[in-house]
Amino acid sequence: MSAGSGLTVAIPKGALYDESVAHLRAAGIEVPGDPGRRLEVTTPDGTRVLLLRPADVPAYVEFGAADCGIVGADVLWEAAGVVCELADLAFGACRLVVAARRVDRYHEGAPLPTFLRVATKFERTAETYFADRDLPVQLIKLHGSVELGPLVGLADLIVDLVATGNTLREHDLVVVDEIASSTARFVVNPVRFRAKYDDITALLRKLDAAVRA
Amino acid sequence: VRLASGTRDWLPAELRRKRAVEAVLRGVFERWNYDEVQTPNFERFDSLEAGLGEAVAQKTFLFADKSGTQIALRPEMTTPVARLVSTRMREAPLPLRLSYIVPAYQYEDPQEGRMREFTTAGLELIGPESLDADAESLFSAIEALDALGLADAHFDLNHVAVIDGVLAGLKLDARGIANAKHLVSGRNIVALRARLAGTGDPATLEAIVRLAMTRGTGDLLEQAARLCHTDAGNAGIERLRGLLGRAAERGFANRLSVDLTLLRDIEYYTGFTFEGFAGQVGFALCGGGRYDTLLPRFGFPAGAVGWSLTVERILIALERRRGTVPSVPG
Repeated sequence: MSAGSGLTVAIPKGALYDESVAHLRAAGIEVPGDPGRRLEVTTPDGTRVLLLRPADVPAYVEFGAADCGIVGADVLWEAAGVVCELADLAFGACRLVVAARRVDRYHEGAPLPTFLRVATKFERTAETYFADRDLPVQLIKLHGSVELGPLVGLADLIVDLVATGNTLREHDLVVVDEIASSTARFVVNPVRFRAKYDDITALLRKLDAAVRA
Repeated sequence: VRLASGTRDWLPAELRRKRAVEAVLRGVFERWNYDEVQTPNFERFDSLEAGLGEAVAQKTFLFADKSGTQIALRPEMTTPVARLVSTRMREAPLPLRLSYIVPAYQYEDPQEGRMREFTTAGLELIGPESLDADAESLFSAIEALDALGLADAHFDLNHVAVIDGVLAGLKLDARGIANAKHLVSGRNIVALRARLAGTGDPATLEAIVRLAMTRGTGDLLEQAARLCHTDAGNAGIERLRGLLGRAAERGFANRLSVDLTLLRDIEYYTGFTFEGFAGQVGFALCGGGRYDTLLPRFGFPAGAVGWSLTVERILIALERRRGTVPSVPG
């Protein structure tokens, strides 16, 4: 390819933004560190970069508005669509855990309530987790501050992401079980991967090299 | 007043466009000497069940008639044609070349290119199990997309035995193999790497993972041959080499790639498979392959190869085409 890849790449704003930008730069795609309020930028090499809410990255890739993207595995667990995970970029590590109030002692094996109320942003993953254990639960979908749930009696347990554990500690919550661990992934649209195979493979090679460096 | 989910009306201008696509397809089918057939839109489920396989059977609309007989709305046309050939056409001289353009029904979550009622069009070549037959099927599909104005469509080929032959060299049980194939088919490289860990020596595992990330031609087949552990897999690689050779003779070399992740989700395929796609649309434009065990399941010992497309998907692709800059010339 002469002038740039001509790829459209979706990246998440928020916690994974800085590392995503650093990886793309290492791959020769000069994304601005502070894009201001822009939703899309075209970099000097001709790559179009879409700056999205993390949860929206899978949809843009699935429907081909972006050829490929960077997104946390935790977002993919909740996304219903079909994208291909080509590489683990190894940054943005966090864990999805089941947590409860320390005083309830569930983490030390105290018996769980007959019917569990579980507050979470991760409805799909939580549903599978409890169904796999044949535990009847009422899932309560929240959109933020899930840790408040057990403190005010909304829920017995929460299923939430933990990076450092500080939030749990501040609210006197403890991990009861770990469901999965998440890192940033490089994802592609399955058909675009075929149609733009050379460009996507070239970008993947550079990202891989950046991960190993 | 509302329509049932996944169905649509066709207003005059829309239907004119659809009929034009169907007319082009009929022309291609006739040029290749395929005779058109029809089967009932619904038939007894027990007469189709043998051929459908679980994935399609689950998406089949079923209802009971007044006598309690289970009736299925045809979910695809390959199985009904196999049923027809093995009953009413048993005595016909082989090879048989049959074509169809008929409505079909699948219980899908409606989305772009996926409706519950759709029009399926395709060809079935029944009898020969030869490279010639596979090549005829593939080339007729390429010509059909060309005739429809999708001449930049690209085709990916695979043979279902190759990935089995590659995975046969690993310490995997039947469930592990099914699981690994599912990950290969979704090109879920991260999970595939995790699933294969510890089932073989690291260099081999890395080579297999690379295989799942690569599209190529002769070079890819050479890599696959080095990793393949079964006669059937090696025969599959030979068949793909043969197809690439025939395609080159016909001037189609730059329209084809081999992609070992192409494991179409219909269970009856036994040999080479292919899909055609274009950059503007996120779904395959057509697909098909060899299915040598389907007719025997209906008591008729013959091989077959065929392909089909969904007319509505062609309409979407053509519409999308007009709205965009033409893609890279082939």
